[in-house]
Amino acid sequence: MSFQVIGKVLPRKDGIAKVCGQEVYPSDIVVPNMLYGVTLRSPYPHAEILSIDTAAAEAMGAIVVTPDDVPDVIYNERTVSIPEKTYRDRRVLPRRARHVGEAIVAVAAETEELAFRAMRAIKVEYKVLPPVLDLDKAMDPGAAPLYEEIYLGDDKIEVRNNIACERIITVGDPEAGFAKADHIVEREYELPRVYHHQMETKTAVCRPEPNGGITVWATTQTIHNVRQLLGHIFGIPLSKVNVKKLAIGGSFGSSIQMNSIIPICVALALKARRPVKMVSSREDDIYDHAKFPARIRLKVGVKKDGTIVAADMRVMVDIGAHQINAYPLLGCMAGWYASLYKWRDFYYEGRAIYTNKVPACAMQGYGNPQVNFAVESHMDIIAEECGFDPVEFRLKNYVGIGDEFWGQGPTVKSIIKSCGVEEMLRKGAEMIGWANRRPHHEKSGRYRRGIGVARGFHTSGTGGPKPGEVIDYSSATIKINEDGTVDVMTPVMDLGGGTGEAAVKVVAEVLKVPYERVELSPVDTKTTGYDVCTHATRGVYCGCGAVYHVAQQVKTKLLEFAGRILEENPENLELAYEEEKNVSIVHVKGFKQKQITIGEVAKLAQIYSWGTIAATDSLRQKNCPPCFVAHFIEVEVDTWTGIVKIPRAILLSDTGTPINPDMVAGQLIGSLSRGMGYALYEETEYDLATGKLKCNGFITDNKIPTSCEMPYIDDIQVYFAHTYEPTGPFGAKGIGEAALNSVASAVANAIYNAIGIRFYRTPITPEKILQALEGGGKVGN
Amino acid sequence: METNTKILAAEFQYLEGQDLDQVLAWLAEYREKARILAGGTDLLVKMKLGHVQPEYIIYIKKIAALNYIQYDTGNLKIGATTTLSQIERHETIKGYYSALYEAVRSMAAVAVKNMGTIGGNLGNASPAADTAPPLLVYDASLKIASKEGVREIPITEYFVGPGKSVLAPNELLLEISIPEIEADTGSSFLKLGRVAADIAKINVAVCLKRSGRTCTSCRIAFGSVAPIPMRVREAESLLEGKELTEDLITLAARAGAAEIKPITDNRSTREYRLKVSRVILEEALRAAWQRAGGAL
Ligand SMILES: Cc1cc2nc3c(=O)[nH]c(=O)nc-3n(C[C@H](O)[C@H](O)[C@H](O)COP(=O)(O)OP(=O)(O)OC[C@H]3O[C@@H](n4cnc5c(N)ncnc54)[C@H](O)[C@@H]3O)c2cc1C
Repeated sequence: MSFQVIGKVLPRKDGIAKVCGQEVYPSDIVVPNMLYGVTLRSPYPHAEILSIDTAAAEAMGAIVVTPDDVPDVIYNERTVSIPEKTYRDRRVLPRRARHVGEAIVAVAAETEELAFRAMRAIKVEYKVLPPVLDLDKAMDPGAAPLYEEIYLGDDKIEVRNNIACERIITVGDPEAGFAKADHIVEREYELPRVYHHQMETKTAVCRPEPNGGITVWATTQTIHNVRQLLGHIFGIPLSKVNVKKLAIGGSFGSSIQMNSIIPICVALALKARRPVKMVSSREDDIYDHAKFPARIRLKVGVKKDGTIVAADMRVMVDIGAHQINAYPLLGCMAGWYASLYKWRDFYYEGRAIYTNKVPACAMQGYGNPQVNFAVESHMDIIAEECGFDPVEFRLKNYVGIGDEFWGQGPTVKSIIKSCGVEEMLRKGAEMIGWANRRPHHEKSGRYRRGIGVARGFHTSGTGGPKPGEVIDYSSATIKINEDGTVDVMTPVMDLGGGTGEAAVKVVAEVLKVPYERVELSPVDTKTTGYDVCTHATRGVYCGCGAVYHVAQQVKTKLLEFAGRILEENPENLELAYEEEKNVSIVHVKGFKQKQITIGEVAKLAQIYSWGTIAATDSLRQKNCPPCFVAHFIEVEVDTWTGIVKIPRAILLSDTGTPINPDMVAGQLIGSLSRGMGYALYEETEYDLATGKLKCNGFITDNKIPTSCEMPYIDDIQVYFAHTYEPTGPFGAKGIGEAALNSVASAVANAIYNAIGIRFYRTPITPEKILQALEGGGKVGN
Repeated sequence: METNTKILAAEFQYLEGQDLDQVLAWLAEYREKARILAGGTDLLVKMKLGHVQPEYIIYIKKIAALNYIQYDTGNLKIGATTTLSQIERHETIKGYYSALYEAVRSMAAVAVKNMGTIGGNLGNASPAADTAPPLLVYDASLKIASKEGVREIPITEYFVGPGKSVLAPNELLLEISIPEIEADTGSSFLKLGRVAADIAKINVAVCLKRSGRTCTSCRIAFGSVAPIPMRVREAESLLEGKELTEDLITLAARAGAAEIKPITDNRSTREYRLKVSRVILEEALRAAWQRAGGAL
């Protein structure tokens, strides 16, 4: 297909502002007369708050908000799921601290320093309770309960054995399936807690308005959900709550939910009757959220010919102190598992357990990298035990065209209509030289190289033919200005991946307008229709899907006005971009001589008082197409120091039409770095005696790989499969989360191919590699 | 959680020294209540964490007389406030003092190196300080001043414990001086961190002199594997006066690794440090030997 702007590498709309340091992030917001807020956070993992003495702080001129000052509303900060499937267990400030670093009291003052000093003058009397820090002991009958009761939708429910929620799914008859198997492989995998490590920590600025409302500038992936939740918690009509859309300094999922400091900031501002700004420190942030860890037990049965006949997966997730999105996570993990291979008959059991740790939430992949690590390690183990080629074994069993894909758990499913799995596996194998890959037992010497493959996917959004447990639609407003330029108003947050540019390109393509004549408008919740959230890799497919839908309506109106001017039937008109003259025209089909520029149409429509050529609408996507990826990664293991290097990586993706090809490559390469971190470096470990993080919240001891650890750019190859998603805007699907999902699995498989040691846990640190090599190679299990 | 690393919460008096006498007078007057501020890349971190709360901060980077790299009559003299970046860019250091050059190159990232000073790296007295092993193997000496006068000590006597040195509260480190590097001498530095930009899990420096196939003298120092950066004298004596062979390197590296006393911390484990210090010492010995013009 040939496009005017889709698929072209063009400068980012926010590029100049970002490079010049002029882009406005929440932390740049300064409002006249504002105070600065800080939080006092619990030093204990589990403690009842008996009393709070704020006198000294108030004597210093500070405004203090305690748990007694916040509305008695129990909510869940993530409102992506429908209300009856949403577990609620938290208040703005708790009466009982459930993890070290949980905010308990908030203080605002004229300067941040004064606020901080006032915060230190507050005396909190705690009754320390026994903490639950070990997943294995959390469900013991004697374990201290984190909650007696919580809410599911409107129902109060009792919490037993610290089990936050669970999901059990059976498809077919797994027992009968396993009975047919010639070979059964069972293993347990463990994936750690890691920190999102997004560049920007969280900011909230809240200005109380004279009409009793509030204006909020905050770090978020969803302005509309923040607006609705603040309205609900503080009892303010939505027409008086405005949340501004600003740039975000990365998120990796950590701002899908309303960030914990946002309602705290609002509470401070309402009490102070003045604007308040809060910027969390890095340690506040590390103590605020983490990726869901997972323990996964997987059993798979295969026949001699390589056909999979049954599978059984049991997942335990240590979710920490609150449910942000544990229940949908368990469903999604079931879906990622169900959609990787045709298990035929299978069982799934997922359990989320409360512990006195930092609450876990979505982080790039939302359970998918965890499931992928288990399944893709498992596929290699089976292939080796049964003598199958790992690539062919995958090709024989993968879920592809015409199969059902679970885009967001068991209630959001659609049929796969585009799929590049075979193309990517064949191409990747060729590019890495798969045919010459030698088994680990033929390798010796200090430095050993290995090649690993893994494949994965993510959903593109959470739409589907039927409404499911999650809300998914988006809105847009588009108008043609009187000189033929175009304004696009979209509530969809661009998390840095180029969603904004994609929206501009879609509009430019539909209206045949040059890219530089379409701009994104600054918007907020008052000026836009609803968008659920930039999560689930839905920005392009769903967000720009709505933009495409509205752009078509604008086009219809444009042709209608042009038809009046040209005295032609609009159906007989079409749009074209005249490159030589750099103008966009409406002309009679097949007869370019009869034409008028878009700018002239818009200007005449104004002069004749016909109105603005504009449209506003919403769209729900009726599918959740998978964007597939494959990773072929080469590692070099130094068997004397245990250090793993990545000399070569081949990153393949099937995103449908890559609307921003440079940014798709950027997502793949950036995710290689994050995947290396997940495989080799990262874990937020706890001191089980104190409940504190071993890194104490400091990035000094929470290392992630940087550009120094990456392969040289010439050693990274990116390949796009040639697919077209019929339901996506100009054939596009997503990429963001998919890009990460099989990186760690491919690294672990490559390490096995290098040294013959199978790691069942990440991170695979040099310390663990040396220990395993000394122990003769058995690790885990 | 009572920290907020964005904020210096405690109040202090900020003093900006214009000349040495003034600084020494302040140090004599305020003693334990004062802290010297050079690049601040260690001190400010500790102040933000609330680990140190000085009442007086004495800034010394304005004193031009403390910032220099002098190389004459074969001796290298480095003023205490010389930044890590200045050292990294110095041609003589790059050409002759390989261990020191490699140590500084391995440190932090550009921004920190532009601020951080060699005096601060020693003043902080971390067991992992990257400039310590090179200075130990070059047999550097330190010039230390107080209102009472100036004293000079060998660097081997400087470190006392984690974060502790022999510097008295009224003393200022003035200069690091490194004796002439003789012909047929080679030095090297190696470091392992969790990632490239990191404090060391282990670091090691070697400086040896060659005569033909014989290693006539050798100094080896490890960092981050004991309470202080340390020389490993048994390993050194195994090599001295011997013909250097692969076997001898292996033997010496094993001896060196047996002398260290590592612990398990956030960066690594005791076991790992014990095992891998041997590996990196072997490599450092080979590199130094080759630089001394030796072949294996
Ligand atoms: C991100 C980051 C990465 C780092 N990476 C490394 C690394 O890889 N390797 C490494 O070794 N270090 C590293 N450091 C630590 C630090 O940068 C170095 O130790 C640096 O050399 C300190 O110098 P400074 O001038 O900033 O010291 P300052 O912080 O100014 O001072 C440090 C201490 O020394 C005292 N002091 C300073 N100058 C004198 C003097 N002339 N006389 C007496 N006392 C003095 C101060 O009072 C203070 O106690 C890192 C730090 C950061 C923040």
